[in-house]
Amino acid sequence: MKLDPAFIWEAFIKLLAAIPTTLEITAVSVGCGFVIGIVTALARIYRVPVLREISSAYVTFIRGTPMLTHLLMVMFGLPIAIDALSGALGLSFSSVQVPMIGFAYVAFSLTAGAYMSEVVRSGLLAVNRGQIEAAYAVGMTTWQALRRIVFPQAFASALPNLSNSLIGMLHGSTLAFTASVVEINAKAQIVASTNWKFFESYIAAALIFWGLTIVIERLTALLEKRVARYDRGGVA
Amino acid sequence: MIALKEIRKSFGRHEVLKGIDLEVEKGEVVAILGPSGSGKTTLLRCINYLERPGSGRIRIGDVAVDCGHPSKKEIHRLRGRSAMVFQQYHLFRHKTALQNVMEGLVVVQNVPKEEARQRSVELLEKVGLGAKLDAYPSQLSGGQQQRVGIARALALNPDVILFDEPTSALDPELVGEVLAVIRKIAREGITMIIVTHEMAFAQEVASRIVFMDDGAVIEEGAASEFFRSPREERTRQFLRRMTPEAVYNI
Ligand SMILES: Nc1ncnc2c1ncn2[C@@H]1O[C@H](COP(=O)(O)OP(=O)(O)O)[C@@H](O)[C@H]1O
Ligand SMILES: [Mg+2]
Repeated sequence: MKLDPAFIWEAFIKLLAAIPTTLEITAVSVGCGFVIGIVTALARIYRVPVLREISSAYVTFIRGTPMLTHLLMVMFGLPIAIDALSGALGLSFSSVQVPMIGFAYVAFSLTAGAYMSEVVRSGLLAVNRGQIEAAYAVGMTTWQALRRIVFPQAFASALPNLSNSLIGMLHGSTLAFTASVVEINAKAQIVASTNWKFFESYIAAALIFWGLTIVIERLTALLEKRVARYDRGGVA
Repeated sequence: MIALKEIRKSFGRHEVLKGIDLEVEKGEVVAILGPSGSGKTTLLRCINYLERPGSGRIRIGDVAVDCGHPSKKEIHRLRGRSAMVFQQYHLFRHKTALQNVMEGLVVVQNVPKEEARQRSVELLEKVGLGAKLDAYPSQLSGGQQQRVGIARALALNPDVILFDEPTSALDPELVGEVLAVIRKIAREGITMIIVTHEMAFAQEVASRIVFMDDGAVIEEGAASEFFRSPREERTRQFLRRMTPEAVYNI
């Protein structure tokens, strides 16, 4: 067998069609994961009874098990739960009506949430206690202090880690293949299945992932410059 | 104007404030002196409810709080009556000097932005920072940061400004500029409680001195009296350690 450079290009063009699916899975899981991360991080930092214990258990369990496991558990567990609930409520809804990509959304959101909980937590802890005290002294409520003073600074210091989470979830989205979702990597396999030029096809997929990752890194760098300019003493 | 009654505060089993009574009249400048660890910072933080007193009563203007069981709302209203200048400045790091001063006006007091901006610029000019409006705290010296901190406190137009050792984190050559600003606003009749180790400054700017040791007020009196003829032995000991002879003549 010989390498066929022309097929790399051919596969590359065909794989472009799968980019939206990959980006959708990544965006949904990171978006939902960020919200889950904020809620669970706040619950742990402010020691909210019950919610705090649930959050801690969730974070250790998810971080202690592979992402593929999350997907499998959601794929096989969620339908049981949906059908039981639907039956109990006398609804006609059945789990087969749920599109497979929906299971990927749910599973990967749970995965991202646990990792991002740690990212958000360390971002919040990086904000000096004096900042929130100054906010209180100025007369702000806790919510105002969090929103106006703590979150912006926490976001700035968490940005590099958030970017890493995003890249991790982008690469992790390839697991959606297991749920028969045709994202970039699955598409690469399909493209090569007729001529068996898997290597060329996977190289094309790798190039696309690399390119997307570089875009994320660039955007992060731009955002970092804006968000954290107060630290490096830009402006003025 | 301000009345503290029987303020007590413990950290675990360590009682840090052992029933503090203090009254401050409108326009008065009160300096709190005392050795390190005597509870001065804790007292200021209790007045602002950054620390929750175990018991006692705090009244500032028309807001009175029973520290045994205050509601969130009462605490919020009480905080609205005072402003704090911190030892470590604690300027909002992600905001410029101007934004730091405007923040409380816009977010807490709902002053229209343009008006808040104008007032804030005036205050920053007053503390000598008219040229640093758009500088971030990281671009300012300690003395400049503390002057922004003072402008931020003034902007709120509080009944009382609490100063917690406003110059003790500063390099010696920067102390003067901050004291000058405090002196200036003291002359304008703003009520202030200042914790300080600057004896000469306290004597000059304060109308009354409160001496604390070990969580209690040991002695208080008019500034002139206090330094000339301290009554308590503990006060004398403290002054002997703290004061150059020029100020301390018994
Ligand atoms: N958050 C805290 N937890 C435990 N102990 C504290 C805390 N803050 C202050 N203390 C203790 O309370 C005492 C008084 O502290 P402080 O009010 O800072 O004194 P001062 O300002 O007069 O130096 C000290 O013994 C200090 O160790
Ligand atoms: Mg202190």
